[in-house]
Amino acid sequence: MSEKSKNLAIGVVVATLAILLSSLVISQPGSGDRAQLIGASIKCPVCQGESIADSPANMAVDMMALVEQRVSEGATNQEIIDELLDSFTGAVLLDPPASGATLLLWIVPLFALILGIGVIVWWKTHPPDEPGDEVAATAPATRRRLYGGLIVIGGMALIIGAATLLIKDGSGPASGAAETGAESLTGNLDDVSNETMEAVIAANLDNAEIDGMRLALAERYFELGDYRSSFPHFLAVAQSPIATDDQATIALVRLGWMAYDGNGEVDTATELLDQALEISPDSPVALYFKGQVLWCGAGDTASASTIFEEILNQPDLPNETRIRVEADLDLAGTGAACT
Amino acid sequence: MLGFLGTAGIVAGLVGYLLLVVRSLGVARTGTRKGSLAAPVQIILAGSAIAMVALVLALVVDDFSISYVANHHASTTPFPFNVASAWGALEGSIVLWGLVLSIFTWVVHRKYQQSPDALGAGALAVMAVVGIFFFGLMITVSNPFEVCVLAGERSCLSSSPWPFATTQPPLEGAGPNPLLQNHYLMAIHPPILYAGYVGLTVPFAYAISALALKVPGPEWLSRSHRSTLVAWSFLTAGILLGGWWAYEVLSWGGYWAWDPVENASLMPWLVATAFLHSAIVQQRRNMLQAWNFVLVISMFSLTILGTFLTRSGTINSVHSFTQSAIGPALLGFLALVLVGSFSLFATRSHLVSSAPRMRSLVSREGAFLANNLILTLYAFVVLVGTTYPLFLEAFTGTQVGVGGPFYNRLALPLTFTLLLVMGIGPITPWGSAEPALLWRRLRLPLMAALIAGVAVALVITRNGWVVLACVMGTFVVGSLVGLLIEQARARENKTEESLRQAIAHVVKGDKAFWAGQLSHVGVVLVAIGIAFASNLALHLVVVLEPGDTVDFAGFELVYESPFQIEEPQRTVRGARITVLRDGEFVATMEPTANFYVNDGAGIVTPDVLTRPRGDLYLSLRNFDSASITLALDTSPLIWLLWVGGLTAAAGGFLALASRRTERKSTDQRLTADV
Repeated sequence: MSEKSKNLAIGVVVATLAILLSSLVISQPGSGDRAQLIGASIKCPVCQGESIADSPANMAVDMMALVEQRVSEGATNQEIIDELLDSFTGAVLLDPPASGATLLLWIVPLFALILGIGVIVWWKTHPPDEPGDEVAATAPATRRRLYGGLIVIGGMALIIGAATLLIKDGSGPASGAAETGAESLTGNLDDVSNETMEAVIAANLDNAEIDGMRLALAERYFELGDYRSSFPHFLAVAQSPIATDDQATIALVRLGWMAYDGNGEVDTATELLDQALEISPDSPVALYFKGQVLWCGAGDTASASTIFEEILNQPDLPNETRIRVEADLDLAGTGAACT
Repeated sequence: MLGFLGTAGIVAGLVGYLLLVVRSLGVARTGTRKGSLAAPVQIILAGSAIAMVALVLALVVDDFSISYVANHHASTTPFPFNVASAWGALEGSIVLWGLVLSIFTWVVHRKYQQSPDALGAGALAVMAVVGIFFFGLMITVSNPFEVCVLAGERSCLSSSPWPFATTQPPLEGAGPNPLLQNHYLMAIHPPILYAGYVGLTVPFAYAISALALKVPGPEWLSRSHRSTLVAWSFLTAGILLGGWWAYEVLSWGGYWAWDPVENASLMPWLVATAFLHSAIVQQRRNMLQAWNFVLVISMFSLTILGTFLTRSGTINSVHSFTQSAIGPALLGFLALVLVGSFSLFATRSHLVSSAPRMRSLVSREGAFLANNLILTLYAFVVLVGTTYPLFLEAFTGTQVGVGGPFYNRLALPLTFTLLLVMGIGPITPWGSAEPALLWRRLRLPLMAALIAGVAVALVITRNGWVVLACVMGTFVVGSLVGLLIEQARARENKTEESLRQAIAHVVKGDKAFWAGQLSHVGVVLVAIGIAFASNLALHLVVVLEPGDTVDFAGFELVYESPFQIEEPQRTVRGARITVLRDGEFVATMEPTANFYVNDGAGIVTPDVLTRPRGDLYLSLRNFDSASITLALDTSPLIWLLWVGGLTAAAGGFLALASRRTERKSTDQRLTADV
């Protein structure tokens, strides 16, 4: 190789490296606001392949609101991402880390690049002497090598086949938990721990029959004021095609209350409660929370009072509820602010 | 009645393909023309057309006795979405697949009639095997003409494949997926994409035929190259239309999400692009013969893999894989294709003559090698990213997401390196490039690129991606223009033509090459469009009440009023917004939320205002009686993306046309000589 062509080759290599490096350097997040960047790296749990920053789905919008809030509170990116991943079932990182289970994802392309360059260099430096000779001399060896390759491909096909068989049950490794879940669905849930319920639900994401357990778990979180943990479960029940009317109503009521109490979103809360009332127009719970939101959120004491009265007109109201509503009605009737 | 007609069409197609495989194998084996191949091809074409027409007719006349119609159509669905529903769902899309395959079979047969040889007959046999598989699907696990025997309220609960079964049609159908009846692009995007997808069967058929018949010479390559060009051009246009549709319909202002469905079309496109280039190396230098077989087989396997990924439900969840038998069927076919083709290749590899010595990597063939390395690596990255989460979940139950950030990190360096090679390759001579010549040709484009970079940085933006894209784009276009002028000057000196005439002659002299360069320019435009749209976009979410105004990106937007339109199949609720610039009226925009009868949640449809400097993109995020929540976005220069994509596809079609005329003129010259 002449001096000049060497220089040229070096020039090309340097230019390529410069481009590679500069693209890697500028691909580090620098522009755009932090919430947007965090949002872009989290997959929206209810969408297909979209990030929560991109998706207009309600859940994604809510999650983005949470991200923005936490950013304004000064939480670090990692903190926010961890919180999101912990609180929302099905939310996963779109930017897989180069460690653990996703390390291979980064190594394999790198390996392929090195292999590709290696093959080209080998091919360039080991050219056959004469095409004719080569065919005759190396044919058996080449064949043997290619049969080796064939065996590898056959093995891969077998693995794929085995994988399909594994997947076939619709569950794979989690099937044990799923069966436990199906049993406990019918039984008493009181003795089942939160962790167990989470595991069962996670193993039965596609199984809408889990609604009952989801609701029970979500109610537990809700009572503890852990809205973040209860949110995805209520949402799943509210969106479930086979949830009973009572289940859907409760889920919508809770979502509505959390929207108001957790985020102060009166409009969203009213909308969700109205959806619940559409399903069960007489549900005391739905009416009560609607009254609360109107009273406390919108400051509309008159409408709230009307709704409270409507509840009290219902015949089979449990005493406990009656007392609570009456107390609220008295207070609202005086035009006082809610407590 | 239509169900019977459609089933008859499918059966006819299947019989035709079976007949074709038997007869064409006979021809390929004995080399003599025994029994006509035309008859089976005519049966196939007629059968596929009848099936498609029957399905479309059933949709148009609201024949809910066919369960596909009951489950994917409603009497209120307007034109053209009622027709488009014929390929909007799984079973119908396989019918379209079958029809396109039959058309390509007919094209291969026409070529065979012009020059009847064993290679063509063998290719027809391979096409027929693929056809048997897809028509087999239609008659078994993916039958679009099953009749409804148990009606639900707005759907069919149970159906029977027997066309004479007593039917119980529902009074009204479920209607298509709201997303698919929201934009006219959805009606044309799938057929064009399928023309690309299915078109890749043809080069595969020629490759397998050449291997089986032990004729791995230049003939299969030339035919595969040509047919890949057809498929590639359609695929390019199809992918572009898909991105355009996403942009116009999905309301998040994006066009590409590295969604597995998109990746499924990108992978074969990347490998096909690699093959279009490496085929030239074999034609000119007789190198890469084995590699070209590998590429063509991979290309076809990736289309089947893509169909499997997108059509079996595996992507939504690994666990929904077995909800329909079509997943295992496609996976089995993929395994058959892979094992079958590569074992055939292995047993014939001694026939594929080894490469002649490569003199230097600094040469046109060296650039092509770099191109092939990058493109196949690109496809490999997408393949790994798309399938890795599936494997991981299947084997360990661990869920991981692989999305935009992962792909961008790997795709950006690959894309920019590719642009660099795209600038150097076309001006590098074959064999071994004289450094002095190369430097003379590179000097000006490099300088132009640097000046462009500085200018962009000073005048428009200091965003690194945008500057880099403009630098690389100018470099590629600059080196092409330089080459064109250099060749024209040489001609000008020799022939005393004007420079303009000389340029025209140079382009006419090597139409295929310059058509390819037009595609390169298209790719450059796409790269610049993406760089601008994704780096300089502005984004704002506001809550507006009627009468409110908001200043955004130099526009003044006034929220006039909400409005509501009742249509038979949907209710459209929208916000009327007046857009002003410097106090002058620019446009009225109406972003809407469309509530379809069969879907309560509603689909948000953005309104896009296209201006030379980019788009203003409005979409509703929330809507209540008092106020709207509106997302405002700009997409600077995004039209470059659409123009560039269409230019790339046009380059492909032009290359095809020029190859045809070249072939004809060669034929004429030969005849004249005789």
